[in-house]
Amino acid sequence: MGTAKPRPPGRASIAKVQSLPEKTFIIDNGAHTMKAGYAPDSLSSEEGTGTLSACSTIPNALVKTRANRTYIGSQLNTQVTDWNELMFRRPVEKGYIVNWEAQKEIWEHSFFDEKSVRSKNLQITNPDETTLLLTEAPNALPALQKNADEIVMEEWGFGGYLRSIGPALNAWNEIQSLFGDPIPENSRLTASPTECLLVIDSGYSHTMVTPVYNGQPLQRGIRRLDIGGKHLTNYLKEVVSVRQYNMVDETYIMNEVKEAVCFVSNDFAKDMERTWKGNRKRGQPEPGEGITVDYVLPDPNAAKKGFMRPHEPLMNAKKGKSAISGASAEALSEDALVLGNERFVIPEVLFTPRDIGMKQAGIPDMVLQSLSVLPTGLHPAFLANVLVVGGNALLPGFMDRLETELRQAASAECVVRVRRPEDPIRFTWLGASRLATNKDELQKYAITRQEYQEHGSSWAGRKFSGAMQL
Amino acid sequence: MYHVELLPGSSSHPTPGWTYVADRGFDPAKAAITPAIGRKRGIRDPGRADISSRQNNAIVRHLAELDRENHRDIQIPVPVKQQKDAAGRGTRGKVTSNVRRILQSQKTFRNYLDDEEAALAQAAAATTTQSASQRAIANRVTKHQPSSHRSSTPATPKPESTAKQQRKKSTASALSRASTIPPPETPSESTEQQPPQSGTETESDEQKQTEQPDDQLIKSEHDDDPLLRSYIPSAPSQRIMQALLAEPPLTYNASRAGPPITTPSSNRQFCCFLVCDDVLND
Repeated sequence: MGTAKPRPPGRASIAKVQSLPEKTFIIDNGAHTMKAGYAPDSLSSEEGTGTLSACSTIPNALVKTRANRTYIGSQLNTQVTDWNELMFRRPVEKGYIVNWEAQKEIWEHSFFDEKSVRSKNLQITNPDETTLLLTEAPNALPALQKNADEIVMEEWGFGGYLRSIGPALNAWNEIQSLFGDPIPENSRLTASPTECLLVIDSGYSHTMVTPVYNGQPLQRGIRRLDIGGKHLTNYLKEVVSVRQYNMVDETYIMNEVKEAVCFVSNDFAKDMERTWKGNRKRGQPEPGEGITVDYVLPDPNAAKKGFMRPHEPLMNAKKGKSAISGASAEALSEDALVLGNERFVIPEVLFTPRDIGMKQAGIPDMVLQSLSVLPTGLHPAFLANVLVVGGNALLPGFMDRLETELRQAASAECVVRVRRPEDPIRFTWLGASRLATNKDELQKYAITRQEYQEHGSSWAGRKFSGAMQL
Repeated sequence: MYHVELLPGSSSHPTPGWTYVADRGFDPAKAAITPAIGRKRGIRDPGRADISSRQNNAIVRHLAELDRENHRDIQIPVPVKQQKDAAGRGTRGKVTSNVRRILQSQKTFRNYLDDEEAALAQAAAATTTQSASQRAIANRVTKHQPSSHRSSTPATPKPESTAKQQRKKSTASALSRASTIPPPETPSESTEQQPPQSGTETESDEQKQTEQPDDQLIKSEHDDDPLLRSYIPSAPSQRIMQALLAEPPLTYNASRAGPPITTPSSNRQFCCFLVCDDVLND
């Protein structure tokens, strides 16, 4: 379909006549979950809550259970009841769509196949009457970008298409209200990007710092730390497997444990001291008081989910007693992990990667590295507008720690403000949906099916990289 | 899991898809001058003399372990569809050769990255290292700017000198200059701590009003003391911003965050983690 055949430029003027389709479907294609849905036709007056209802979060994986059955995408949440030893195949590696065989299967299942699509809001019936807005992680490999463009336009044939850097789309959100700034009058009617925004996107496969200026990323300032939620889960899995039960095959369960118990410590040394078992003998109260918790593991036979509860130091003794006295089998079969310093040591690697031997800087340092290659005049503006998105932002204590460390590291004259949206996972999608309501802006960046057929995929790649604008 | 490590050899030939590296194996000349610390251990177990590289390998292996999706290597094939496939295709026409090639590709990210690196190395030997590639981009930016515009270059900003030059001008002229520049700035809590900026006329008027009291501060001879002055750099011009926005993305490896800037007083040591096994053994 004419990929390598750029036509003479005279034809381009004809192609311009065709405009983008009315409907815009947005896929924020994360490594862990896809955030997908149709963009609204216009800006809603209330704060995004109405818009967000159109956005669904779908696991982006093929899952294989112990019983050797394979499930696709959203089936993980609806049909899988036994979470032990789940195996995952993820089409997205390091934040980039690598395996299109798997990705196509999940997309087909989630958006195209009318039998399996969960709701009408997610079904793409006529791709040629739809504009697809697909996010990608910054610094993608050109070969992978080309693959994405070719599949989207040649396999499904979307009427319009825009591949955009995910973190930059956050600038289209109502950032001012998040930071408590006055909202400019003109932005109430049409969506427009905020001027300076430093986006920290801490997701599944990595943590990215992206300085965004007027909705466009400043490429030289983009920095990546190769630690994300996946690494935290694996690390927790490893530590627990060494100290307690062997959990190396329980990625799904340990992820639940991580989400339930982990937090970012504001005083690492003090918390370590508090959880040190050596303190027990000195006649102090039980070490780890207030930090140590039990996590009761899920029981697939009884169809029970796992949950966290306060630590009971005498649990094992009690169990022994009740076994003698013949207590209910339920209490006996229950298995719990005791989590003490694991709760904050694991997320700590986001701030001190040295703890696992990584030679990269932690998040606050990475922000400074990103700013150091930008003009100093921009530093105050970026430091005053730091936005954190991505699943790791939900770790309790993350925001406080980040703000404290940034404040200490930044120049005293600069105001440092770090904010997290209510829903950091779907915030990028929300920003994209606001961009989609501004048809003029969308038209600037997106391409139509006709243009793709005229100019081919390498042209599309150049267009999305911004090389042809202005 | 097997592990292939590419050693930088003197005669490596990077090409897309594969790399030839000369394996020069164990170098006895180098082994002879290994540090004399822990001689006894060296005698007992000569192969373990190179502690740092062993530790390094352990760390690399551990990090690779943390990066895994599943603990075991398994294949999860895409579920097979029943004949419906052909019917589903009907409206969409034929599979193009591009699509077929991409769908059948079983390359991993590592493969793509290696291809990319090899292609880059071939294109320009100078831009293979991270520092070199960054420098190259920095040069490109400075080229974009005319030489007359020397107030703040993005590549090597010299805050001290430019600040002095600008402060010698009257505030009025500074403001008028600023108002011609669209601001790279969102409103924030304290306007006086921000660089001069304004978008609309009304906004710049407000700015002038807030700046007025500054001029009426009590003057003293220490005002010009560079140590006491609070330095706020001015926002870069629109032209610099355009040049910055027009830059191409960094390569995947160049965008990786570097080692920490603020060096800690000491490395934290944990005795109970896997990484440190080697430390304990030695």
